[in-house]
Amino acid sequence: MKCEEVKKTLPLFLYGEFSFDEEERLEMHIDECVSCRGVLERERAMFKALDGAEAAPTQELLDQCRAELRGRLSNAAPERKHFWDKILQGFSIQFHFAPGIMQPLGAVAMLAIGFFVARVAPSSLGGPWRSAGVLGEPASSRVRYVEPTGSGRVQIVVDETRQRVLSGNLEDQSIQRLLLTAAKDPSDAGLRVESVELLKSKPQSAEVRSALLYAVQHDSNAGVRLKALDGLKDFANDPQTRQVLAQVLLRDDNPGVRTQVIDLLIQHHSDSMVGVLQELMVKEDNGYIRMRCQRALHDMNASVETY
Amino acid sequence: MDEPELIRAAQRGDQRAFEQLVRLYDQNVLRLALNLLRSPEDANDIYQEAFLRVYKNLHSFRFDCSFHTWLYRIVTNLCLDALRKRRVRREENTVVETSEGFLDRMDTVEEGRADGNPQRQLISRQLGKKIQEVLGGLTPRERAVFEMRHYQGLRLRTIGDMLGTSEEAAKNCLFRATQKMRAALGDFV
Repeated sequence: MKCEEVKKTLPLFLYGEFSFDEEERLEMHIDECVSCRGVLERERAMFKALDGAEAAPTQELLDQCRAELRGRLSNAAPERKHFWDKILQGFSIQFHFAPGIMQPLGAVAMLAIGFFVARVAPSSLGGPWRSAGVLGEPASSRVRYVEPTGSGRVQIVVDETRQRVLSGNLEDQSIQRLLLTAAKDPSDAGLRVESVELLKSKPQSAEVRSALLYAVQHDSNAGVRLKALDGLKDFANDPQTRQVLAQVLLRDDNPGVRTQVIDLLIQHHSDSMVGVLQELMVKEDNGYIRMRCQRALHDMNASVETY
Repeated sequence: MDEPELIRAAQRGDQRAFEQLVRLYDQNVLRLALNLLRSPEDANDIYQEAFLRVYKNLHSFRFDCSFHTWLYRIVTNLCLDALRKRRVRREENTVVETSEGFLDRMDTVEEGRADGNPQRQLISRQLGKKIQEVLGGLTPRERAVFEMRHYQGLRLRTIGDMLGTSEEAAKNCLFRATQKMRAALGDFV
């Protein structure tokens, strides 16, 4: 080891960043070299001086920080629960308290909701859509009540869910409302894809746009999210849309979705996007997205390294 | 509960678990912010912002790095950002004018050493000032690497991970920082 190399690497030695062999070689050199020994001593003295310059927070400051954080946390909810998660969580809390009573009640409630959507809702909605009539056998049925009527006969009350075919165009409010409901059906991703595919041609409607934004943020299926993004293309400059897209860009775990989002966001440069893009640079591992992000930051004269 | 259990509980919305998680790291976070920014108010701001970001984004933490690394990545980025902004509007002085005269805000923080000898105290104060000057002259990145290695005792590889760079780049930053300090403090030590 040469003196120059020793002098240069002394901090690493003192910080314990050397390997066993490197340390061995340096110590051998120091043993034989008076000049380097002097340099090492001065370096040690400097380190000691630096040790004393460390500022330690007072207990008072720490307590103040903790108290302030506690206050802020009570106002800042983590944005992670989807609509259906919340509903399911609501049910689970009730089951937890009274499993024996709430479970059958929950089942009855679900059945009632099913009935409402399948039967009551369509017939209660006005408008020019056309019912093609009831098709064949009921889609599902449940025996509600059984009563012997004498002479060996039995009276049975059955709840039935029947299918009904409705048709109309997308301008019809009733059709649009059913599509909006279907676009959030948690049990059928295929149905959501089809519904969003139809709805995305009408993003001018605030209600449709809101459903598309909801799907982009919350739908568990990436296909649905991509369709919804497609529908928002013409609104890439709308502040509310941009805000949602920024959240999706930072949180969505699907690179295809993030790619589409960044392409939409960087169509329009705005200072409010700088922080989002800088944050993205820290966490993003997809090469294309990083490249797009970097270029956008560069175009906006912003640093790529902070957020 | 150990750390991964605390994280999972906090991810499920357990507020108490989150507070415990904060307590595991918040002293070091505050110390790092204070040493980097040399202002108790700014350090408090970083503390608040960092833990709020952690709180809001904890659901996206997937254990693909240590929580410590993830947290420090957030903290150091916030600090670097603050340092860069400060450089733009010139280095902020820790001395402020109050109704009771001039006050050094760093007087409210505890210095690492105390000595009864007045002459040594004077030398120590001069040295302390000189060190602050040198630290203020380092680039935000050099300063961050130096603080994390020297005062937080983090390994260079970990520092690289936290700053989103390589161990080699962190090492080079440390070399530059110590060289500048050696050049500036040569007469004092």
